[in-house]
Formats: sequence, C-alpha cells, structure tokens
Amino acid sequence: MSRALDRIGTWIGWAFFADLANGLALTFGYMFSKSVTMQYPDKEKWLPYSRYRGHHFLKRDEEGEIKCVACELCARICPCYCIEVIPYEDEKGNRRPAKFEIDMARCLFCGLCEDACPADAIALGQQYEFSSFSSRDLVIGRDDLLGKPGKAMTGGGVVAARLNTEQDVLVETSEPQGYNWWRNIRRT
Amino acid sequence: MELVVALGLIVFKVALLIAILLLLPLPLTWLERKIAGRMQQRMGPMRVGWHGLLQPVADGVKLLTKEDHIPAEADRFLFKLAPILALAPPFVVFVAVPFGESVSVLGTEITLYVSNMNVALLFVFAVIGIEVYGVIFGGWAANSKYAVLGSLRTCAQMISYEIPMGFAVIGVVMLAQSMSLLDIVRAQANVWNIVYQPVGFFVFFVAGLAESQRIPFDLAEAEGDLGAGFHTEYSGIRFAFFMVSEYAIMLLTSVLAVILFFGGWNGVLVPLPPLVWFVLKVAFFVYVFIWFRFTFPRYRYDQLMAIGWKVLLPLSMANIIITGVAFL
Repeated sequence: MSRALDRIGTWIGWAFFADLANGLALTFGYMFSKSVTMQYPDKEKWLPYSRYRGHHFLKRDEEGEIKCVACELCARICPCYCIEVIPYEDEKGNRRPAKFEIDMARCLFCGLCEDACPADAIALGQQYEFSSFSSRDLVIGRDDLLGKPGKAMTGGGVVAARLNTEQDVLVETSEPQGYNWWRNIRRT
Repeated sequence: MELVVALGLIVFKVALLIAILLLLPLPLTWLERKIAGRMQQRMGPMRVGWHGLLQPVADGVKLLTKEDHIPAEADRFLFKLAPILALAPPFVVFVAVPFGESVSVLGTEITLYVSNMNVALLFVFAVIGIEVYGVIFGGWAANSKYAVLGSLRTCAQMISYEIPMGFAVIGVVMLAQSMSLLDIVRAQANVWNIVYQPVGFFVFFVAGLAESQRIPFDLAEAEGDLGAGFHTEYSGIRFAFFMVSEYAIMLLTSVLAVILFFGGWNGVLVPLPPLVWFVLKVAFFVYVFIWFRFTFPRYRYDQLMAIGWKVLLPLSMANIIITGVAFL
C-alpha cells in the first residue's frame, strides 16, 4: 500500500517538477548563507598553525649566540640544494657558519633541514608573505634568517590583513578546536 | 509644429530606449555575478568599486581595448555582419513593447510606448526570428568547428522552440481578442492571464529560456564541449555585441512574460505607480533567469529536442484547444 502511495507521490512530484523546485529552493537558501571567502590581501589574512612550514629562521641559544654549528647536514639533505653553509672557527673555538644562505626561490619547504639539524638551529617559521619581483632578493643570508619570525604560538585563525604578524601574535579564537572552515557550509 | 514635436518625441523615446537597453547589461552582469557568487558561497566581484559595482565598467573597457581579431580563414564580411545581426533584433522588438499607459509631462500626455501596433505580438515574434541569422552567420563565418557546431545547434534549437512559443501565446490572444500588447495588458486589468493560462505560461517560459539561450538550454555556448559556441572566435567589441544581445533577449523574454501573463503594469494589493509595478515584475523574472542558471545543469541535445517537440509542442496545442473549447 505504502509502496503504491510512494509511486503515486513520485508521479505527482514528477508532474509538478518537485525535483527542480527542490534544487531551486536549495540555491535560494544558499543565496542567503554567509560566504566562506577570506578576502586575503584586502581585509583578512590567515594566521598559520604552529606546524606550518613557512620562511626559515635561525635560532639563538640562551647567550644570544647562534645555535648553528655549521655541520652542513641541512645543506646535504636539502633535496633542491638551496642551502649553502661555509663554516669558520670563532674566538671561543666553536664551529659557526660564516655564510649561511638559503635560496628561497628554489626551496620547496619540505622541512627536511629542520629534521636533520642536530643543534636544533634551523626551523621553518610562520612567515609566508615574502614574494619579490627579483629572484636575487630571495637569497637570504645568515643575519636576515636570525631576524625572521619563528613558529606561530597559536594559529589557525583569520586576522585583519593589516595586523603585523612578524612577532608572535596571539589570536582570540572563539572556537577552541581551532578555526572551523566548515562553519558556513551546510552539510546534510 | 505639432508634427515636429511628435517626431521629436519619437526620436527621444527611441534614443532613451536604446540607451537603456545598451546600459542595462552593465548592472545585469554585475548582478548575475553577484548572485552566482552568493549561491556558491562566494562573494562575487569585490575589488573594483564598492562591492565590485564598477566591475562591468572595467570589463567593458577591457573588451573595448582588446584586439579585434578576425581568423585568417574567416569570411570577413559575414564575420563582421553577424554581431550586428544578433544585436539589432532585440532592440527593434522593443519598439512594439509598451511600458505603461501614459504619463503627463508639462501638460502633454506622453505615451510610454513608441508605437501601438495592432499586430505587435506578431511583429515581436517575426523580428525575434531574425535573431537566428546572427547566430548562424557568426558560426559559419568564423570557419571553426566549435563555432559551426554551436551555431547549428543553436539554429535548430531556436527554430524548434519558436513554434511552441508562438502557439503558447495564442491562448493569450484569444483571451484578449487582440494582438496588440497594449490591449492584452488592458484585458488583464482584473485577472491576470496566468490564472487562465498556467500551461501557456509554462510553455512560454520554457521556450523563452531556450530562445534566450540560457541554462538549462544554453547549448549554444556549452562551455564544456564547444568552447563558447558560435562566438568562440569573437573578441573585443564584437564579443560585447553578442553579450549585450543575449542580455537584451533575456530582458525581452522577461518583459513579454510580464506583459502576456502577469498583467503588465497592473498591480495587486499594493498601490504603486504602474511603471514601478512593471519594473518590479520584470526584475523578478530576470532574477528567475539568473537563479535558474546557477541551479540547473544543461540538457543534452537530444533531450532538448525531445522537450521541444514531444512535450512543449503538444502541450501548447492542447492549451489552444482547451482555451477554444472553454470559449465556446
């Protein structure tokens, strides 16, 4: 009985274009939903998670000395050979890099240098806005690398595009689980 | 003196009509992209002007400054003629379309139509039939396989959908006892034709969708399989001509649907000026066109033909017969 009723209902729906009406109602509903666009360069930008692999930075130890021991393991493991390290011996007799250059134009941000480093001296930070008109400007030296921003403290949030994220920025997120990309997307 | 005034008035009306029709695609493209964006949870154009309001102007400037490219193997004369042939009919049709009764300015009654033809409906369909030349010339002259395929499809589509469209409005003509669009609107002063002619409206609207080559019947420019159909090879200002003509036909279909089935400038409940009612109704139909575009997929070619000949044509015929029987 119910099957017959179902069939009749299907036929009535077919005759009055119920499926088309369904589709129209869906798109109409979506028209009044919020957009998921992040207006990146204009208004908002994304603050990456702490695991994000952005621009490299070199770390200092407690005395403010560069941690790097110029072992060249990062240069060796780099799949695109974009790190160049030349060691020297400083006043205290420690091995330190005289030259530490990363060619960001060739780097693929795999993070292997970070993994290979025995002194925990190099890591990939949170900075991602370093595009340039000249690939020559993308070769970054030792002193610049020491000044680059580190890993994000929190992250996973949308902040105002003008906010300077060079230093560690704490973002107030209403969602404790991090930014929910799906919040405006209906899932049925 | 009177003759000069009358002539001046006609020239002024025609100029105003052309200006409006040429300028309306600008806000309409913006609106279409905005609505598309909202429906897909995007924002649409945002960067040129406030909420992208100047985006159509930027697009227009871009189209005007682009190279006007003509393919080497093209038939140059037909290639240049086609956009004009596509653009002219929608503009010409509006001569016969009334936008209201009349308004009095400075003590003189000014009618809101250029001419009140007694066979306006016939004129509209006859002129819209010419539109197909622009499509087929454009496709043929470009000498490109995509363009030819697109124009052949469009040609078949437009010719087969013109038939049910023509039959669908016969019911309206029977009800109004006149082919003048003005009389048809006047006949709907109390009850709109949609009440008596729901089937006629359905056939008319579906055929109108096909006539204006909008989704779900936009086989002319099925992007997935034909590049851009008959205007694949067009660029710059000639491409803009095709776009303007597409929007003008969309407007025309909306205007005709309002005049023939939704009481023209006759309002209900809310007492608004007749012209405002008319514009509101037309805007609603334009919205429906855009809404359909971002909801439905495209029909296959054989489905398109099946709908035209096996569904719409018998429906419109039955509509005529039933209307006739009811009249007797």
